[in-house]
Amino acid sequence: MIRDITIGQYYPSDSVLHRLDPRVKLSGTFLYIVCLFLVKNWWGYLAAAVCLAAVIKLSKVPFGYIVKGLKAVIILLLFTVMFNLFLTSGTPVFEWKFIRVTKEGIDLAAAMAVRLILLILGSSLMTFTTTPNQLTDGLESLLRPLNKLHVPVHEVAMMMSIALRFIPILLEETDKIMKAQQARGADFETGGLIQRAKAMVPLLVPLFISAFRRAGDLAMAMEARCYHGGKGRTKMKPLHYKKRDGVAWLVLAMFLAVVVVTRKL
Amino acid sequence: MSIILDKINYIYSPNTAYEKQALKNISLVIEDGEFIGLIGHTGSGKSTLIQHFNGLVKATSGGVYYNGADIYDTDYNLKELRKKVGLVFQYPEYQLFETTVLKDVQFGPKNLGLTALEVDLRSYEALKQVGIGDDLIDASPFELSGGQKRRVAIAGVLAMKPEVLVLDEPTAGLDPKGRDEILGQIAKIHEERKITVVLVSHSMEDVADYVERIIVMDGGSIAYDDTPRNVFSHYKELEEIGLAAPQVTYAMHALRDKGIPVDVNVTTIEEAKEAVLAWYRKD
Repeated sequence: MIRDITIGQYYPSDSVLHRLDPRVKLSGTFLYIVCLFLVKNWWGYLAAAVCLAAVIKLSKVPFGYIVKGLKAVIILLLFTVMFNLFLTSGTPVFEWKFIRVTKEGIDLAAAMAVRLILLILGSSLMTFTTTPNQLTDGLESLLRPLNKLHVPVHEVAMMMSIALRFIPILLEETDKIMKAQQARGADFETGGLIQRAKAMVPLLVPLFISAFRRAGDLAMAMEARCYHGGKGRTKMKPLHYKKRDGVAWLVLAMFLAVVVVTRKL
Repeated sequence: MSIILDKINYIYSPNTAYEKQALKNISLVIEDGEFIGLIGHTGSGKSTLIQHFNGLVKATSGGVYYNGADIYDTDYNLKELRKKVGLVFQYPEYQLFETTVLKDVQFGPKNLGLTALEVDLRSYEALKQVGIGDDLIDASPFELSGGQKRRVAIAGVLAMKPEVLVLDEPTAGLDPKGRDEILGQIAKIHEERKITVVLVSHSMEDVADYVERIIVMDGGSIAYDDTPRNVFSHYKELEEIGLAAPQVTYAMHALRDKGIPVDVNVTTIEEAKEAVLAWYRKD
């Protein structure tokens, strides 16, 4: 149940995608997202979907596992589709009292849904194939120029990696506390909305306390190892571009070209 | 009246890279009133196993029967089962959440739908049994010491008056005095309430003095299931799976190696004392 939340998590495997430089994956994902917004017609979405499918195949992450990540955003997806479906003006195809569905609305809703799904699948593929550590390293190195503008790049990257690292820990903790309270007769599954919200108290209070305790412990451990921010800090595994990263860049450039071409179709 | 596990297999996160078989073909009968020690190295599957006892975890294959009823039947009342099989998790003090000690202990019995009077009676009785005095019952559970918190958490399960009490590493992280107190109280509760107790631990020392039967887990399977005396006689094999017999076993073997004919299969310090004295007097 609670272990089913897979979005944003790392999936250990041995594939070209896993070995790729995190900077390439980060900027590649960014480029992919930009492309999704450049797309004008269904040919473009088809091109993006085919490319994504090929990359997923290459990543050796089970497709079902990636799709599970969509569960977490299903509400958002439904909202977007509903709003586009009912609130777009144009030629009406269906009318009933105050509900009006237009041809443009259907097109827009479908396009939005496909775009969102492609976006989420694509970006979660990045976190599936990149460890939080690599992700932070990549982000830090990509954003380094911002240091000149006094943006605390290292701190932001560190915060992000800690947050990512703690998702599975807190999920496990939630699972444990839930079971412990269920063993004491707590019921999280039945009852009305208010009753269910009340039932969350025995879960949330210990969870918050444990999150604060862990945060305190981690801060103490970092301090004990003389952590003092990014200044003068060296890496155990510095990032180096390899040949496959060049190939990846080429593939990305081709993808961009294809998407731009589909705009003319 | 018993818990029967029939060929239980349990697999974590099946069909993913994290897939792991935690339990392999476990069959087990736990009779009424037994005092059992469940021993195993970290990751041997003992915590996963005990979560099958009250249906918190559903086996990938196999069956669990409580008092003859199949708990995986669709119309079986799991809430009723959890009332009868009390489970105290590892580090139970982390599940405390109420504003006072008493309220936290009342959480379990309240969930059972008992009358206010019955809830109070049970809570006070449970707190008394774990040695929490009247001066602490209105304190915030977060102000207590580690050992006190743990005893409050155990009282929270005891107040539900379970027929079977399962404790996962109740002594982890406690000092020797706290450990002896808690184990002594559990033994007393077993005696007074005549309930079945399953004590999970990775230390033979902890359980040797109290239990009548020891189940040793290794790599998701049961390695030994016997009386302490018989299990400790395999002390060489126990070392191979990362466990050890109590020190008294080693001391007795050392004595025998020196040519002193004592019984090497004693399990407690008291028995060892008797054995050595008997030999001494005979001379």
